[in-house]
Amino acid sequence: MVHPPTPAPYPITALSAVNALGTTLAAIAGALRAGRSGLAPCTFPLPFQTFTGALPADLPAPPAALRSHDSRQCRLALLALEELAAPARAAVRRWGAARVAIVAATSTGGILETERAYAEHRRTGALPPAFDFDRMQGFPGIVDPVRAVTGADGVALVISTACSSSGKAFASARRLLRSGAADAAIVGGVDTLCDTTLRGFASLQALSPGPCRPFSARRDGLTIGEGGGFALLEREGDAAVWLLGTGESSDAHHMSHPHPEGLGARLAMEAALRQAGMGVGELDLVNAHGTGTPANDVVEAGAIAALLGEAAPRVSVISTKGYTGHLLGSAGITEAVLSGLSITGGFVPASLGAAPLDEAIALRGLRIPLATELRPVRRALSNSFAFGGSNVAVILGATGARGARA
Amino acid sequence: MTPVYVTGVGLWAPGFASAAAFTAGVADPAVTTARAELYPGALRRRASPLSCMVASAAGEAVAQAGAALSELPFVLASAYGEIGISVEMMASFEEPEGLPSPTRFHNSVHNTAAAYVSIATQNRGFSTALSAGEETVAATLCEAVALLHEDVPALVVTFADEPTPPPFDRCRPPYAAAAAALVLAAAPGPRPLARLTALRRGDPSARPAPLGQPFTHHPCAGALALVRALCAGLAGPVALGPPGPRGLEAVLELGPGLLRGPEADP
Repeated sequence: MVHPPTPAPYPITALSAVNALGTTLAAIAGALRAGRSGLAPCTFPLPFQTFTGALPADLPAPPAALRSHDSRQCRLALLALEELAAPARAAVRRWGAARVAIVAATSTGGILETERAYAEHRRTGALPPAFDFDRMQGFPGIVDPVRAVTGADGVALVISTACSSSGKAFASARRLLRSGAADAAIVGGVDTLCDTTLRGFASLQALSPGPCRPFSARRDGLTIGEGGGFALLEREGDAAVWLLGTGESSDAHHMSHPHPEGLGARLAMEAALRQAGMGVGELDLVNAHGTGTPANDVVEAGAIAALLGEAAPRVSVISTKGYTGHLLGSAGITEAVLSGLSITGGFVPASLGAAPLDEAIALRGLRIPLATELRPVRRALSNSFAFGGSNVAVILGATGARGARA
Repeated sequence: MTPVYVTGVGLWAPGFASAAAFTAGVADPAVTTARAELYPGALRRRASPLSCMVASAAGEAVAQAGAALSELPFVLASAYGEIGISVEMMASFEEPEGLPSPTRFHNSVHNTAAAYVSIATQNRGFSTALSAGEETVAATLCEAVALLHEDVPALVVTFADEPTPPPFDRCRPPYAAAAAALVLAAAPGPRPLARLTALRRGDPSARPAPLGQPFTHHPCAGALALVRALCAGLAGPVALGPPGPRGLEAVLELGPGLLRGPEADP
């Protein structure tokens, strides 16, 4: 368990996101406030019915210098970098290019292009001429666009721990700043829809045929989304949102089933609170992993209820996957950005699709809002859990919340 | 940087069941499958080949360090992760049912090997899995050093890649599968192999020391070179890759454990 002795909050000086709700923070915040879902019937040719949280099929092509990287991952990354580019370039000028790290995250990388190349090879016996395995499938596929857009040239790595990837990127970036390896870090990532995850989750019977309904009695599986986002973390600076703490743990239980008592989830949340130097009563919001699968939601609700204890009536617990779908490797950055929008906007979005609540979850006494709550959010915890029992919790806070017990 | 200590090394590759065997350079044709002894039988039957290599190398490194995988934070580095299983899955998309096997799907994630080690050893602590293309080894050591800068006293870091499968085998110069492991510690302990005093941008023309085929083009060749330098008792800079201005080198000073030689006290 990683938990340093003294809290060390870091300013998040810029945020960006693209997902089924929109491609700007303003559009995404508007949809969240209005309780409007971005989920729609899947347009992939598949042998089963499902919904997805998709972006438009046609995204702008990359500039010439990134033509060899032209994957949907690259296009989504470039779109997600649009709102972050100017502040990131300012950070590069402030700290020097070699002092700005890139901690990217993805679960599937550019596998959509690899699937298409594989299928074409089966048909024709040759890979497509434009297919570039390293720059599309490989991890440079996401790092190189970030370098090209921002000019950052410090340590660069990609965290890939399935659905906890971009939550863990915050933890990794924070360590790079604390150890002195960097003065700023561009944190985030993207994942795209692809056959591997759509068909893979179907094989696990974990996909809902309709839009996912986290915490609901009628939930019947998850909905996959695509997109992602980025955060600019700096050693010092002014910011409306701060990174207060991160906690990482393992279930040590099963590759694709959560620990039945949510032990690993609880360990990650406790570690994040310790790193932030705060008590559970100081939380206003938990953005749960909340996938909408029968197994995850009841286990996670139990772990959150056990953690919150008597504070439960004061802490809103939501899942935002009813808006965006499950963005897999980019769920952590997406839900951190959405939590940041709650902090800056003073609202908690409805936990979309949760009505009617599962009786077993309702009995836990959690405050799961079924309509938008207008209330100040000063500290929010966001969970991401993954295959292999990889868990992460990230705590963000408003300006002024950062010195909690420091 | 604050120096860190190497207290154990491990390596598995076809033909080489240990770091010492790899350093000696004489391949044993009987070594074809990683034994992954730390996995119970049922888990080993489901484990991916990459997960088995990682378990063998990590098991060797922690045994040398006198540590336990049940307690150490675990870092997995790989350029391509479970690329073999990921491509196997693609064949099933064109079958009538169109679905992969559930086991194959959950074994296809980049962190599969870290997860199997966690499950086998009941380690509920920290683990991560990362990649950085040609910079994987250098970037992973930066992450490992940053972890030791927190209150982590020691950790195990593993580097593993298998060859890219057909039809993607022609997309890279060919290389053999291999996994390397290091136990790194913030304090020297009773018998450090070496002190890692610097992790810095190296001579842009430097390349990882020649490993000989079939490992020269291994995506984690820098880690294989580091293990070999440690086993051979070679102090000084070790190029971690990649070639060019982003290349990093690690600087090693020998410790008492290394001077005695790992073979002398297996």
